[in-house]
Amino acid sequence: MNKRRRVTYIGCSAFLAFLFLIPLITREPYVFHILCLIGINIIFACSLNTILNIGELNLAHAAFMGIGAYTSTLLVMKLSFPFWFAMPLAMVASAIVSLALGILTLRFKGAYFLLFTFLFAELVRILLSNFWIDIFGGIPGLINIPRPTINIFGLFRTNFKSNIDFYYLIMVLVIFTIFVMRRIDASRLGMIFRAISQSESLAESTGISAMRFKILGCAIGCCFGGLAGSLYAHFVGIITPQDFSIHAVLAPVAYVVVGGMGSIFGPVLGTTFLMVLSNFYLRQLGLYELLIYGVIIVVIIRFMPEGLISLPRVVASWSKKLPGGG
Amino acid sequence: MEITLLFQGGLNGVMLGLNYALIALGLSLIFGIMGIVNFAHGEMYMLGGYVSYFLIGRFGFDFFTSIIAAIVIIGLLGMLFEKSIFRPLTTRPREALTSLIAAVGLAWVLQMLAVICFGDLDRNVPSTFKGIINMGGVVITKERLVTIIIGIVLVLLLNLFLLRTRMGNAIRAVAQDKEAAALQGVQVSRISALSFGIGCALAGAAGALMAPIFSVSPFLGGEVILKAFLVVILGGMGSIPGAMLGGLVLGFIESFGSLFFAVPTVSAITFVLIIVILIIRPQGLLGHE
Repeated sequence: MNKRRRVTYIGCSAFLAFLFLIPLITREPYVFHILCLIGINIIFACSLNTILNIGELNLAHAAFMGIGAYTSTLLVMKLSFPFWFAMPLAMVASAIVSLALGILTLRFKGAYFLLFTFLFAELVRILLSNFWIDIFGGIPGLINIPRPTINIFGLFRTNFKSNIDFYYLIMVLVIFTIFVMRRIDASRLGMIFRAISQSESLAESTGISAMRFKILGCAIGCCFGGLAGSLYAHFVGIITPQDFSIHAVLAPVAYVVVGGMGSIFGPVLGTTFLMVLSNFYLRQLGLYELLIYGVIIVVIIRFMPEGLISLPRVVASWSKKLPGGG
Repeated sequence: MEITLLFQGGLNGVMLGLNYALIALGLSLIFGIMGIVNFAHGEMYMLGGYVSYFLIGRFGFDFFTSIIAAIVIIGLLGMLFEKSIFRPLTTRPREALTSLIAAVGLAWVLQMLAVICFGDLDRNVPSTFKGIINMGGVVITKERLVTIIIGIVLVLLLNLFLLRTRMGNAIRAVAQDKEAAALQGVQVSRISALSFGIGCALAGAAGALMAPIFSVSPFLGGEVILKAFLVVILGGMGSIPGAMLGGLVLGFIESFGSLFFAVPTVSAITFVLIIVILIIRPQGLLGHE
């Protein structure tokens, strides 16, 4: 076991080193544009995974990303906050709204919770696109969102105009997110979340207040959803209500499910696999892009319901079935 | 004048409501039997619309044939999807979530196939029933009247099937308790294929019914599924009278609301109303825990 752990650590560090050195291989802005989006989506998928781990699917998760994005954008553009304050505040805003929603809706379980979050997502989209247009910008949304700037005593400064700089910022935050999620997973809290997802009534019989921990789990997930939203807004520069609609949550759910739920590496793997596939390989197929993408998702789920992360196990079980196989 | 306006709104509300109810009934049936939130349900509606477009618009069949054809074709298609994609998932861990994403993938595939095969233009289906009926100032096109009647007939037939036939009893038994039904000798796998087929057929029928009134496009499904969700939530999951009532309530809100308010205000009011109803009655208007 110990040896395996060491191999994992070496593998991860090598991969991280590779990610930091990508700018030596290529400096193509498009590549870094996609890499940044992958990073943002990894944060988002991980935050979604936290909520999936307490056994619920939050269809409004993109709406929380939206709350983060709009909060951070409005703080920066209307109240001229620096990005570095606006981003944590966006996380806090998402978490607070999720607390309120959680208290109202987590009484409902399974499909009812799902449908409730669906309603909330649509409500947020309708409010953002049709009301208070002078603040939220209506259906066209907000444009010209500035990128952050940093200036540490004049020693180190950048305005993140280059995608490569932004890529490093996002990567640091991705590592931060994965670190936090891993720590939660390994802690008592993670154990309680797993217990609740396996059997809520059994968990409650051991004295765990399932409701309270579910609300907490949702708030943690939504907090990081807000982080993804804030990064998205300042990276892309344009946000519209449609970016955070119910349809926007389905792709990240697919990332998590295709990668594999449970472990933190599932969402990371799933996001990277599907986004690399669609942005670097399927893009040139035009209409067939979404078609093939859909087929791949259905096939993976149909034959690997535990996700890509179970690939080694699936291959092993197939090779056993083959004549002459181990 | 005011009173005719109200009747006019009411008739349109009934038509919209029946349409929503048909789609939501199928969604609710599939959820009740298999526990699957079928995100590809809107695409069944869309394909039903194309069945009608091809049969009426291209090959000159009549309206009724197109609806029966839509029921048969989309029903069989639904059974095929159930057998090849969804049923194998039901025995695996986290099946609700995996089947949901499989349905989302399926929806994308069907939508893009429709764009590739039929083009992304809005297609108009020629209407079979021309002319209007004027009932003391309340004007309704014959087409809409026929649509309302067929919608009512379909819902009644479904009710009759579920309440009065052996097969219908088996479906209701499985919805109540899968294991108990299996112990009574009900073949659960056959029932789930059947309900998936019926559910999809209802959406297909709704698509074919509405095709001559609204136009048909590959992107119909996305909007329709959202409406169907609202109806299911409003009426209560797995409740057939609930889906009917939910459909009519939503139809009326949209139809009357748009007489007095702008569209975005109507949808905001709808959502707030539904959320309030749910907080008071989480199981929906006619659902039970």
